[in-house]
Amino acid sequence: MDEISVMNNEFDTTQYIVINIGDEQYGIDIKYVDNIVRMQKITRVPNCQEYFKGVINLRGEVVPVMSFRMKVGLPETDLTNKTRIIIIKLEQNAPVGIIVDAVREVVTLSENNVDPAARNSTNTDASYINGIGKCGDTLISLLDLNVVISEKDKE
Amino acid sequence: MDVNQYLEIFLDETNEHLQSLSDQLMILEKEPENADTINEIFRAAHSLKGMAGTMGYKRMQALTHDMENVFSEIRNGKMKVTSQLVDVLFQTLDALEEYKNTIQETQDEGTNDNAAIIQALQKCLDEGTGAASAAATSTPAGGDAKKEAGSAADEGADDDRKWKSIKLQEHEINALKEAEEKKMNIYGCTVYIQESCILKAARAFLVFKALEELGEIIISDPSTQDIEDEKFDFDFSLYLVTQESYDKVEEAVMSVSEIEKVIGEAIPIETILDGEVEESKPAETEEAAPAAQDIKPEANVPASAAQTAPAPAQGGAGAPAKKAAGKPVVNRTVRVDIEKLDVLMNLVSELIIAKNSLVSYSSAGQAGTNNSNFNEQIEYLESVTTNLHESVMKVRMVPIESITTKFPRMIRDLSKKLNKKMELYMTGEDTELDRTVVDEIGDPLMHMLRNSADHGLESTEDRIAKGKNPVGSIYLDAYQDGNNVVIEVKDDGNGIDVEAVKRKAIERGTITAEQGENMSSKEIIDLLFLPSFSTAKVVSDVSGRGVGLDVVKSKIEALGGDVSVKTKLGEGSTFSIRLPLTLAIIQALMVIVGEEKYAISLGSIDTIEDISESEIKYVEAKEVINLRGNVIPLVRLHEVLGLEASADKKDRMIVVIVKKGDQYAGLVVDELIGQQEIVIKSLGKYINCTSRMISGATILGDGEVALIIDANCLI
Repeated sequence: MDEISVMNNEFDTTQYIVINIGDEQYGIDIKYVDNIVRMQKITRVPNCQEYFKGVINLRGEVVPVMSFRMKVGLPETDLTNKTRIIIIKLEQNAPVGIIVDAVREVVTLSENNVDPAARNSTNTDASYINGIGKCGDTLISLLDLNVVISEKDKE
Repeated sequence: MDVNQYLEIFLDETNEHLQSLSDQLMILEKEPENADTINEIFRAAHSLKGMAGTMGYKRMQALTHDMENVFSEIRNGKMKVTSQLVDVLFQTLDALEEYKNTIQETQDEGTNDNAAIIQALQKCLDEGTGAASAAATSTPAGGDAKKEAGSAADEGADDDRKWKSIKLQEHEINALKEAEEKKMNIYGCTVYIQESCILKAARAFLVFKALEELGEIIISDPSTQDIEDEKFDFDFSLYLVTQESYDKVEEAVMSVSEIEKVIGEAIPIETILDGEVEESKPAETEEAAPAAQDIKPEANVPASAAQTAPAPAQGGAGAPAKKAAGKPVVNRTVRVDIEKLDVLMNLVSELIIAKNSLVSYSSAGQAGTNNSNFNEQIEYLESVTTNLHESVMKVRMVPIESITTKFPRMIRDLSKKLNKKMELYMTGEDTELDRTVVDEIGDPLMHMLRNSADHGLESTEDRIAKGKNPVGSIYLDAYQDGNNVVIEVKDDGNGIDVEAVKRKAIERGTITAEQGENMSSKEIIDLLFLPSFSTAKVVSDVSGRGVGLDVVKSKIEALGGDVSVKTKLGEGSTFSIRLPLTLAIIQALMVIVGEEKYAISLGSIDTIEDISESEIKYVEAKEVINLRGNVIPLVRLHEVLGLEASADKKDRMIVVIVKKGDQYAGLVVDELIGQQEIVIKSLGKYINCTSRMISGATILGDGEVALIIDANCLI
């Protein structure tokens, strides 16, 4: 019985990688995640956007890395040994790394467990979240990577 | 037979033939009587037609066919080469080029029949050949081949008529009788394929296809099956029932390329019936087995044609269906000298040997092997990789010839359009550049040549008035200069009128009048490279819309090169493009600024100097040094890179003098590491360097990423 219900669900479920930023949890669609690497030396690029911390060497490829906190306007924190760089690869585009505080787990959410993001005009974060996932009692903000990575918020 | 695998070869060769046609036409225009050229053109046109036919591109074939007719008449001395004719022929080449491009993108030739050009060709043909034209046009294809075949046919007329020996079965005779009753013509014919033909089955199939459009093939010898399997020599015979005239039949057959000749005639039904009485009996016994397939001829012909169709028709009918959307079906290719590949292969094997010996050292090494041997291997490895790099680069190099060959033609067209007399002289076409660069500079060069032709050169009357040679000259020179390739476009026209440029700039509000006063003529000329700036008083079809030089400049800069101008009023101007030889791997100087490592391309470095703080002078509140008579502005790298100045002020500074053309700048760095071969990696499009002074990144031996400083942006 269990197996059958899993099978049925498979059509409208998505797997997300759950990351921590402070106390909040965010979900990244696993199909865009190319890799997750530990923090490593980042070469600073002068005169570029502030939220780009620089570039890293990912097995011979030069990959730009951005700080998620800076991108969404949160204060920077110290790096810990839980800090990770998630390498995102949107279709066709070159990879880009996102620094997150920690990577927790992978969850599978079916479509009926995902609510559309609340469009709250006072909440500036709402634009890069395209849904809220419910997993047990925890809520996971599902990131719209296109918005996170794109150049939109030029202050 | 799947023609797709030949598509690349077809496109390659089409390119070559088109180029050769264009070159030869240029020569022909100058020397209308040059028999060699005419022959050469004829050959190229003929091969082109053959190729298009084989690949099933009918429209292309039709167009080349008409062009070939014109050449054929010229070759036979019936027509004179006029400038007007050459114009039409060039138009034809353009149309063919278009077909080629469409094929490259979609595998299909498109639907443009280019009827206007075909008509123009016909008109030329009619006018040129006068009275004889009627004959020439009615059997255009046959014309040539028939004459050649003519003498042979006279000698052994009967031997050639092999269709007479076809033995008819009752069904076939019935079919023929039926046709006779319907007042259709019965023709027996024998088709001879050129002995040089490689794909004779395909040719035969095309003949069958052409004939089936006209009527019905009653029987063929050998059978269609055998022909399809290529079980025949260079001829085959058949009976055809059709309502068309024999001329039409012959024309249809001859429209297939590589057909030597076709011999045939109408056969009265009586002859067939007579022959049947005599021959049918032995025929039945002899051919019972092999002719089994021919027994139901009426049904069989279309059926076997349908059988034949799936294979060869993929080229003709099948290909359009397989249309690939969007990107070109054919990948870009580089033709590589086999010798270069051999060298590469050798190097790779050496590399493997070097790797193996290193492996054996490391496995046996723990027990304290001597270090010198190890170093030796490292050195060996190093030399192998350097050689490997060089060879790979050589493979990627192509002569710029591939883009310059189309320029003479362009100048010719421009000369007509602008009504100015001009000549293009080119040198150094064999200068080699990276393939990616060569592909990109075609357009900028074309822009510059157009620019020279339109703005640079004066009108013929003006030139005569000035006592200059009425024919203007444009020079395109390419040569290698160290790690760069320089391409110069030079004209002997009027040069750039600096005052006119200045007036125009002020008029347009690009600069103020005061600014104009203080600008050097060089700075003013640089204004030409600004977007939407054209000094031509009249916007012409050729240039003057102001989208020229700025596009040239940005394109060249995107390739890591730069453009400069020298001009002398009344004597002409020279535009030179300086391009890096290769893009992927460069020699660089590694430096340390603050605590970060940066690479500076060795190509742009002039010298490295040791300067004491006291030598710094100030000009307009900017730091400069006076180095052997040159005043060179200083750039403190840690400032432009947004770093904090190192705390301990040293008295002596290391200054890397970089140069761009004849401009210099001194970059102040903290420390030198040394020279290194680096692989350039792009930073990607996400990171947006506002000042563009970082041209890329590279990965160092320890895995660290170092950024590459584009010194050109700092000057």
